[in-house]
Amino acid sequence: MPVSTIRTPVAGLAGDSAALNAPLFRLLTDRLADGRRRAILDLGAATTPMLDLLGRSPCRVEIADLGSDRELEQVNAAEPDAVIAAADALLPARREDSRFDAIFCWDIPNHLNRQGLTALMTAVAARAGPGAVAHMLIYYSAGTMPARPGRFVPTADARLVDNAAAAGTIDAPRYSPEELDRLMGGFAIDSARLLANGMQEFLFRLPGGHGSNGL
Amino acid sequence: MFERGKKDDNGTGDTDSGSTGTQGFLGSVGAKPAVREKGTAIIGRSIQINGDLRGNEDLRIEGDVSGTVELRNSSLTIGKEGKVRADVFAKSIAVDGTTEGDLYATERVVVHVNARVNGNIIAPRVGIEEGARFKGSIEMDQEAVDKALGKSSRKAAAADTSGRTDDKAPDSKAAPKKVAKESGAGLNTRAGAA
Repeated sequence: MPVSTIRTPVAGLAGDSAALNAPLFRLLTDRLADGRRRAILDLGAATTPMLDLLGRSPCRVEIADLGSDRELEQVNAAEPDAVIAAADALLPARREDSRFDAIFCWDIPNHLNRQGLTALMTAVAARAGPGAVAHMLIYYSAGTMPARPGRFVPTADARLVDNAAAAGTIDAPRYSPEELDRLMGGFAIDSARLLANGMQEFLFRLPGGHGSNGL
Repeated sequence: MFERGKKDDNGTGDTDSGSTGTQGFLGSVGAKPAVREKGTAIIGRSIQINGDLRGNEDLRIEGDVSGTVELRNSSLTIGKEGKVRADVFAKSIAVDGTTEGDLYATERVVVHVNARVNGNIIAPRVGIEEGARFKGSIEMDQEAVDKALGKSSRKAAAADTSGRTDDKAPDSKAAPKKVAKESGAGLNTRAGAA
């Protein structure tokens, strides 16, 4: 039986016209609601609506909250021989008894350079179990993106609202699917969708497991 | 021991997180009259405590506390000025300030908008306000929460004896050594709507 969350103030939820339909996000969260216990890593900030969504099944949710820190800049600026350690330091300690089954990356990968992205996902893969699934939003059509990572909050029907404060724009890396496949530290593309706002939504998967995690 | 106010009307001991202005520890030389807060003892912002803090009354921390905090049947509020580097055990925990350590509550944990929490949360009900900074894990499995809080659970006991796999076992890191000594009898860990 999952625990319950306490209602906390969240702007722009259910009924918000800006909510983004993200079918792969909905697919993953629906699969996670099958009653099995899992370990989940959220690279973004903790929000009660996300906990509500994940709490439909028993789980342990680890919150890395990378989106609003200068830590991403440190990874981007790290020398090649130090970048793995820099990325590793952003994540929770490895637990061999409870490897992650699902990882929510949101749009954080857009704010990492190629070296940093590979380092972060390699560090994530080291904490994930066989067949683990990573969800990601990549700026694809637009040439620019917000200067800081989004703060995505799901609606009750698993659409996404970005509640991040406006912070100007920067060039988007516009990673192609082929390039992402090479940069993802062992995760391979499972499926992809182009979203209405020009982002591309991805599910990546680690090899192995033969579907035993049900995801 | 602590600066003390009168009990609030509903007896919950809930405090208004916006009502700061605490004047310090009872007995502070030259302190202004204590700001009364609803039935809650207060550790003022000039106070530093290093060690085990135990009690049986609601407490608000605006100072700096390191060690362990145990208020098994009471509520703890870590105010905007509060800095706690400790594992905390309480009936309910509300955070407006900064904590580093695990938070165990038999009823609920609420992390308010300006809070910074670095540690794990083990409670049957959890709230994280938008804008709060939280790094750590949240156990969303009532069975694992019950076990971590030391509450006996027939289902958990049955699972334990039926050879469950490691990945289904409650978070061993989360198991509070001190709380687990007690049965938790009388503590309400039933999940329910806020």
